[in-house]
Amino acid sequence: MRSAGLKVIAGKEFRDHVRSRRFLCLLGIMLVIAAVGLVSGMVQYHKDVENYSRACAAISENEGATIPFFMKPSPLAAFYQMAFLLSSLGAATGIAMGFDLVTREKESRSLKILLSHPIYRDEVISGKALGGMAAIALAVFMLIAVSFAVLLLFGVVPNLDETIRILIFGALSFLMIVAFFALSLFFSTVTETSGSALVSTLIVFITLSSVAYLITSGAGVTVLVGDPPKMPGESYDYTVRTGPDSETGFCGVSDGGMDPEEFKQKLEEYEAAMTAYQGKRQAVTDVFALLSPDRNYEKLSFAVAEPGMALASRLDPGQEVPESGLSALSGLLGSLAGNIVALLVFPAAFFGLAWVRFVREDIR
Amino acid sequence: MIRCEHLTKVYNGVPAVDDLCLDIPEGEIFGLLGPNGAGKSTTILMVIGLIEPTSGACYIDGTEVATNPIEVKRKIGYMPEDVGFYATLTAEENLEYSAKLYGMDGATRRKRIPDLLSLVGLEGVTKVVGGYSKGMRQRLGIAKALINEPKAVILDEPTANLDPQGVADYRRIIRETAENGTTVLVSSHILSEVSKVCTSAGILSHGKLVASGRWEDLARAGGSGHVIIRVETKAPMPEFSHPSLISAEYADGHRAARLVAETDICDAVAEAAGPAGIRRLERDEPDLEDVFLSYYHEEATS
Repeated sequence: MRSAGLKVIAGKEFRDHVRSRRFLCLLGIMLVIAAVGLVSGMVQYHKDVENYSRACAAISENEGATIPFFMKPSPLAAFYQMAFLLSSLGAATGIAMGFDLVTREKESRSLKILLSHPIYRDEVISGKALGGMAAIALAVFMLIAVSFAVLLLFGVVPNLDETIRILIFGALSFLMIVAFFALSLFFSTVTETSGSALVSTLIVFITLSSVAYLITSGAGVTVLVGDPPKMPGESYDYTVRTGPDSETGFCGVSDGGMDPEEFKQKLEEYEAAMTAYQGKRQAVTDVFALLSPDRNYEKLSFAVAEPGMALASRLDPGQEVPESGLSALSGLLGSLAGNIVALLVFPAAFFGLAWVRFVREDIR
Repeated sequence: MIRCEHLTKVYNGVPAVDDLCLDIPEGEIFGLLGPNGAGKSTTILMVIGLIEPTSGACYIDGTEVATNPIEVKRKIGYMPEDVGFYATLTAEENLEYSAKLYGMDGATRRKRIPDLLSLVGLEGVTKVVGGYSKGMRQRLGIAKALINEPKAVILDEPTANLDPQGVADYRRIIRETAENGTTVLVSSHILSEVSKVCTSAGILSHGKLVASGRWEDLARAGGSGHVIIRVETKAPMPEFSHPSLISAEYADGHRAARLVAETDICDAVAEAAGPAGIRRLERDEPDLEDVFLSYYHEEATS
């Protein structure tokens, strides 16, 4: 039979978090960022709506002309801007909430007292994790509530599709913050002091964020997958004057005196090799990006908050535009399942490691 | 009430506690004595179920600790040597949290917590524990150890940071607790403190229990054969050296000495101190401290 420990510890941890200046300060900054970001986003949205209306009116006079589907303004665009700010601030919040949860007990000598109560050790670590997650959920709930309030203040009443997207954005924000909370909680269990836990967490955070970025940037991937295939014939660069003060660069290719049939065949082989090479680059980029919760969060937020642009970026030329609304969203999220799984697995893995380490810890 | 059977704990091949057998009856105040590093805290951590023994077993009220740690923890109250609480909470909030972890209902908590704060002299203190002195934290530690009305209370170095009033309060609380039938296990290296409150004691040295029993039995057994010699001279005396000499303490610029020896070495002392001009040379009865030092000495030489 389990004891009452889990509930009691989770409750205390939740109260500790929501009373702490550190948490309140970061929550305040998050809410201000959300409010300011959304206000400016709404101002831009109203301008975009005006421009879009004018464009629609102009096009209706020209038969056959259309506006690309992804150009339709969305009030959710502001959320994507917010996601960029939140990815670093949310990471800071998660780390600040978790890095001293266990080390503080060791430093204040309260761990022995705590463990002398009739509770299981796993209830202690699980209670700490649950209390922290409840505080993060409260912070995200307040963030989303402020976002809805700003939308309503600007006269934007989200429809069902937009409401669901905003809620999914909230869930993604929660998962991203929890990922860094779990990382710092893990280091809090394996180190002896809060300082060491913080430094270790920051090292991993910086490694995951910046090293993953460097590897997924152009030069980094080239080192891993090699140089692209060489074009057949002779390639050359040239520029064309495209305005009174501007030139545009182009890359051309000639057969270089090769037999036209042979050149055509080589060009087809090159295109196939280039497609395979690009696929390989993309695979490497995707794998490294999966390791970074903030990059996963940004990618998923883009899909949720910029539905038109996200769809357009994933469509092949000539491919039919899928339905809009929830079916489009579920299709889009389905194609990003790897990122969703990574955002779930990351905190689960670090909670698991923290759990095992704490349960096996030798208390002296 | 508290029973240890061949309890052993080995760290990196070195035994911290070595084949310890102990039986403390209900209502007893038992002192676990020993110098620093003797294995007292390790023994206590095994008794309360915070670490598992390498071999052997502990029982609290007939329940084995290693296999039923939760049941055992319900029966005991514990105060560690380096007692720590949540610095941002008040004493009342800390005890409230502790009481909830014991599953106590609200009505019981509301009655028990003010009673305990009054008992340890912390009633009316509203500041958070972060602002407490070490002595105040120690008092709160005693209150925490008693919150669940335990059958056995285990205190590790309980008077280490207490002022004289705190020590007097602690002795009163422990005696009252034992009178109510609770067994008390006190670990300490301060012999005088243990001797004033405990009804029996065990002496640990290098992880082994070298002696245990009631005070008078320990003193009788430990004191047999040891001789205390006090010597005073007019001029500074030389340092004594003799195969039977256990310890020697010098004072007053080597003009006074207190020697503990396994046999009567008065003649040898008189001969060595003679040139310095002997003013006084006499045999003395060993006190409690000498008795316990002799136990440690015996263990070290064996």
